[in-house]
Amino acid sequence: MITKTRWLRVSAVARRHAYVLQRAPQRWFDVVFWPVVDALLFGSLGVYFSRQSSAGAAGVAYLLAGILLFHVVFQAEISLSTGFMEETWSRNLLNLLVTPLTEVEYVAGVVLFGLVKLALGVGTVALAAWALFAFDVTTLGLALVPLVAILLVVGWSVGLIVISLILRVGQGAEILAWGLLAMVMPLSGIFYPVSALPGAIQPISRALPTTHVFAAAHEVVAGHSLPWSQVGWGAFGAVVLAIASTFLLVHMLAVFRRRGYISRHT
Amino acid sequence: MHAVCDTPQVSEHSGVQDGHAPGGAESVVLRARGLTKQYRRVRAVDGVDLTVGVGERVALLGPNGAGKTTTLLMLLGVVTPDDGFVEIAGHRLPRERSRAAERVGFAAGYLPLPERLRVREFLHMFGRLYGIADPEPQITLGLERFGVTHLATAMGNELSSGQRTLIGIIKATLHRPRLLILDEPTASLDPDVALRVRTGLAELCAADHTALLVTSHDMVEVSRLCERVVFISSGRVVADGTPDAVAASFGRDDLEGVFLHLAEERERVT
Repeated sequence: MITKTRWLRVSAVARRHAYVLQRAPQRWFDVVFWPVVDALLFGSLGVYFSRQSSAGAAGVAYLLAGILLFHVVFQAEISLSTGFMEETWSRNLLNLLVTPLTEVEYVAGVVLFGLVKLALGVGTVALAAWALFAFDVTTLGLALVPLVAILLVVGWSVGLIVISLILRVGQGAEILAWGLLAMVMPLSGIFYPVSALPGAIQPISRALPTTHVFAAAHEVVAGHSLPWSQVGWGAFGAVVLAIASTFLLVHMLAVFRRRGYISRHT
Repeated sequence: MHAVCDTPQVSEHSGVQDGHAPGGAESVVLRARGLTKQYRRVRAVDGVDLTVGVGERVALLGPNGAGKTTTLLMLLGVVTPDDGFVEIAGHRLPRERSRAAERVGFAAGYLPLPERLRVREFLHMFGRLYGIADPEPQITLGLERFGVTHLATAMGNELSSGQRTLIGIIKATLHRPRLLILDEPTASLDPDVALRVRTGLAELCAADHTALLVTSHDMVEVSRLCERVVFISSGRVVADGTPDAVAASFGRDDLEGVFLHLAEERERVT
């Protein structure tokens, strides 16, 4: 159970990041600009290819559902990793480490505000897809709930991996906040089935929880019922990833403290 | 005696002895034993023992690279010692780090304020991190104590280094800690601001019976602010006592003489 003192600390971290978003115009690129660009880009591609083939409106929906759900992972990951990077950029890490704030409370605070950014970012994609291409995300129905839940866990887990690597390697690892998802994106079958990938890469693709989530989403878009086996594999992969990333973070924090890496951030 | 030493030691300092002060364990706010830290081939800290009593004002001194900051970071739980232990207000690190941190405040002259926060927002955030539901009265008191109420709405990146230091100290004292640890608090401060810092700290320590552990290169400031000094050289405690007694034990007139002596000795060795 969360105590009042813990809630004070969690909400203090969340509020700090709300101020950052409020006062850093470049942060709005992640939650407004890129979502609109992505919706426009993939919606237009969908329209073009649907005209060249027999896919029709289903082709547009296939791509837009993909980019919308990808933004769930992206926004969850980016809010957590850039939230932490904000502390390193402003050299605030030592200030935080000497307070009673625990690692779990810190992550909870960043995630809490990250949910606001996620709602803004994904909401923008959904709104742009509806306004520009008449794609209504609510047609996916309740199937969205488990799919979004799994993608949130994956996004936060990747965020923890990025934080771990920044703790270990330093600011040189910051590029991974964007780079890791850029690697995951083509492998997850977001805009095409996994069978379209080169054969040697397909096993890697199938090992990713995101691949199963997007496969499930595409089934729903095609008018079929939610394939629970895909959801199950996606959930299993997400849990494994969450456990592994948590262990990695705990280990890297121990290394950070043992080797005195705080000197890189003061 | 607090220290593991191989150079002159002084016995006339606070009544706190080996972590067991007269009046029981609660009169000791900080107890560190055998702190050791090795970075690759450099032994930064080598078996440091340190005890600070409730309300005691102690300076941790030594030449550059002596191991002061590493020692402080181990006391704060930010760096894990290779050997030894730290106990703050009865809470052993690292297991009870969060509980211990509730009783400690830390500020450093070299730490900036986050760029996108106003001073009052920054202080509000840290007040809540220290578990204060409504930090406003403490924020107002701190700003008044250090004469910087006019900075309340300034952005963190608009402050001068002296102003940042003052706000950092206010941040570190919002929760009325039992131990206040300051790393180079008056470095790069004008004499009038340094005086304001010393006066504010003395007032705060007297009002809340807060113990003070401070590092500084300003020996005059140390003599004025602290009743006890601990000298570190090459990672080891080499003297521990009142400023006058420590100076006398090295055959010097003042702490600056001791400092210069240790710096020269270190240069000879390296």
